[in-house]
Amino acid sequence: MAATRKYLKTAEMAFSAFFSDGPLVLLDYLMRLLRVMILLALWRLVLDSRGAGATDDPGLSLGALLTYTLIAQVFAPQLDVTTRIEDAMWEGTLTGRFLQPMGLVANFTSELLGTWAMVFLTFSAPLLLLAPALGVDPRPASPLHGLLFVASLALAATLGVAVDFIFCGIAGAIGQNIWLIKYVRTGLMTILSGVLLPLQFLPWGLGDVFAWLPFASMASAPLRVYTGTGDAAWLIPLQAAWCVALWPVASWIWSANRERLAFHGG
Amino acid sequence: MAASVAGAHRLVRRWLFFGRLDALWMIRDLGSFAGYAFSEGLKVLAAIATMLLLSERFDGVGPWTQPQVVFLLGFAVTANGMIDDLFGYNVAYISRRIGRGQLDHVLMQPQPMPLTLLTEGFSPAAGLPVLGTGLLLLAWGIGGTAAPASPLWFALLALNLGASCVVILAFAYAVGSLAFWAPRAAEEINSSSWSLITQLRAFPLDGVRPALLGGLLSVVPAGFAAWYPCRALLGLDHWRPSVVVTPLAAVAFALVALWIFRTGMAHYLDTGSQRYLSYGHRR
Amino acid sequence: MATVASAAPLISLVGVWKTYRQRQRSESFFGQLRSLFRPEIKHVAALRGVDLTVARGEIVAYAGPNGAGKSTTVKLCAGLLAPTRGTVRVMGFDPVKERVRFVSRIGVVFGQRTELYWDLPVASSFEWKRVVWDVPRERYERMRGFVRELLALDDFFHTAPRELSLGQRMRADLGLALLHEPEILFLDEPTLGLDVLAKRNILSCIKDLNRERHLTVLVTSHDMAELEQLAGRIVMIHRGSIAFDGDFGRLRREAAARRVLTLETGGATAPSLNGAELVGSEGGRHEYVFDASRVTIAALLDQAAAQARVLDVETHQLPIDDVIAGIYERWLNDATRGSEDVAAGEVRPPRQQEARVAGQVQVGDGHQQDGE
Repeated sequence: MAATRKYLKTAEMAFSAFFSDGPLVLLDYLMRLLRVMILLALWRLVLDSRGAGATDDPGLSLGALLTYTLIAQVFAPQLDVTTRIEDAMWEGTLTGRFLQPMGLVANFTSELLGTWAMVFLTFSAPLLLLAPALGVDPRPASPLHGLLFVASLALAATLGVAVDFIFCGIAGAIGQNIWLIKYVRTGLMTILSGVLLPLQFLPWGLGDVFAWLPFASMASAPLRVYTGTGDAAWLIPLQAAWCVALWPVASWIWSANRERLAFHGG
Repeated sequence: MAASVAGAHRLVRRWLFFGRLDALWMIRDLGSFAGYAFSEGLKVLAAIATMLLLSERFDGVGPWTQPQVVFLLGFAVTANGMIDDLFGYNVAYISRRIGRGQLDHVLMQPQPMPLTLLTEGFSPAAGLPVLGTGLLLLAWGIGGTAAPASPLWFALLALNLGASCVVILAFAYAVGSLAFWAPRAAEEINSSSWSLITQLRAFPLDGVRPALLGGLLSVVPAGFAAWYPCRALLGLDHWRPSVVVTPLAAVAFALVALWIFRTGMAHYLDTGSQRYLSYGHRR
Repeated sequence: MATVASAAPLISLVGVWKTYRQRQRSESFFGQLRSLFRPEIKHVAALRGVDLTVARGEIVAYAGPNGAGKSTTVKLCAGLLAPTRGTVRVMGFDPVKERVRFVSRIGVVFGQRTELYWDLPVASSFEWKRVVWDVPRERYERMRGFVRELLALDDFFHTAPRELSLGQRMRADLGLALLHEPEILFLDEPTLGLDVLAKRNILSCIKDLNRERHLTVLVTSHDMAELEQLAGRIVMIHRGSIAFDGDFGRLRREAAARRVLTLETGGATAPSLNGAELVGSEGGRHEYVFDASRVTIAALLDQAAAQARVLDVETHQLPIDDVIAGIYERWLNDATRGSEDVAAGEVRPPRQQEARVAGQVQVGDGHQQDGE
């Protein structure tokens, strides 16, 4: 218990700090809600407007697609993990983290969990409750799919932390501006992860190819498990395999470039 | 008249100077330049990929044919590129300048603030990838649609592009002005507002409920970023005066943003900034 | 320290108040949530009825403890802030309302900020200044040559600031501020973080500019020795009010006639001197601080000679930093004990409003009301 106290305290600080800057954070939520509503309208437009003679299988029913989109927003922080490493590298305060008596990963992850708890309470849970009013069924495809989703989401978040460390580590190692790396990552996530556009909707079989990449394991995999539109029997092991493959990479990048990273930015 | 000519001369002189500075910055370091070019390219691709791929997969989106979707994307990216070109260095992300206490740097310059904001962010080299991509997409879209493509139509296209830029910039300044009252909390509020506009601008909003659509043409004017002016220009909106709605909206939004910003400036002169961060200041 | 001054006031602050609102935040989650809807606001008066004039050609040191109101005063003078009450006039301008015309005639350097473009050579930033300040080409080239020589910028003129040391960057910033030949220079902690040599260079440049070009300078700093070298006049501000306005000599006299006496004796034991406080003793050298208005050196030496063999004697004024530290400490103690008893001649913490008479001690106002 004593050993975990410092992590809990770190999480608590992040949780408490959420409203320290006033209610403007709620404006951010409003914007995210708008985005959800527009995406839902877009899917209705795309699928409803297909003529009666359309023969190709879109790969996703309208109901599943709406659920997919909603859940992608509910669990957005877990599906596209962004720790505070970027901020610390930009501000040059990473050194301070090295001076704290806990591992870097545990440090940033504790903070993340505190923030996630607050976001879930203030945005995700209300959005789930609002789903019927938006014409969306928020339930998983089945109770089993719901359980599998928990495992899949945990793996996705774990993988997301590793990818975050990798990208930030590379930025520090090559001395690049952290925000350029952020743009690269955001671009890759938008195109390859399926968080915005389900991979099944990509033309030319691109979706089948992208599904094997780690970005898809971070977002598309848990969403497909939830909506029952993907086979959990291979999606979840693939996520686990990427975790096993990428965590050592993240560890190596940070160990090999420790000095450069510690003094990056500011 | 002489004052206007002198003013225009000052403006152009500063644009030329800041353009040169921007080019110098781009080529100062090959590694940074390569990194920048790559990330900008990816950013543009990400902005258009979703809709492009969707329209390819379903042969258009709703009432929009595939070329029309390309035109919509081209319009959105071109407007984005124009703003990147003219309002770089956090001029468009004004909440950062305000929240970080960097407005003093603007106040210490012996020129009206509008002149500083209109010129200091001029970055034609840095903004070229986005603007260039947008213009290519526009050309591709025009080629595939049944647009009249007459001189008058191109003039209306230019007018609507400019108006679209004014609308979204006005929105950014209105939202970003919150940083006058909450510098720490609202420092990154423009990141959120730009993210919202950037993500929504490429989507056709035809299926959106009327109440929400009204909001997207007023409170959060993402509808004017590309969708509404493109509908008007492509004749998807059968109401002929629709081609001047975006320019009129631009005037209205600009006036509102100006009022909010000036109110914020008066508050700033009273309170000053208790914090200072140099991030993004001339970097 | 001589400065070149002429009669007409260039800077004039009359009855200036400046009040800030500070939001108080709780450390607990529920406290933070509560403060969302019922924020606790504290009003802080950074300046309380400040009257200050600076004549053309003066170098004025503006000193005070942290949070006294120094930077606020500089920002008011530079037009970055408007006063809550009172008037600020610089060169006859209202710095806020006539900002554009006004700032073209002043230079401002904040020690913790730079105006330089981070990734471009210093030369590019100088070009930027020329364009934006509309400095005529001939004047620009003349001043560029002047500041390059004065501040020894040639070695790094074509280097980007990100690769310069702090001292080099400060010199470049100072050069940038001088390019348009300002009539007044506001320097807010210009030597913060600089080493001794770099500080000396900067101070020397400022003195040269004042002497050769009648440049008026208002400088804030915590380094008293530096200010004493630079300025002929020191204005001390405490908790928003002027506590002292005069020269350094008078400050020493009025603060206390404290001196340092160093004795070298044959033994390690320091003699006990009535009227002097032992502050250090090492290997036969013993250092004392005493008030020369209350006990003479001769009396102390008599006492010392009666107790030990005195081999050497040294006496000098207390370093100005120690004088100021003593003043700040007394202000703090007076604020704590709320005492009205202040020894005659002592520099007072601001309590009583008195009319300003040239060359006399001015103290500030202890108004009760805030929230103006």
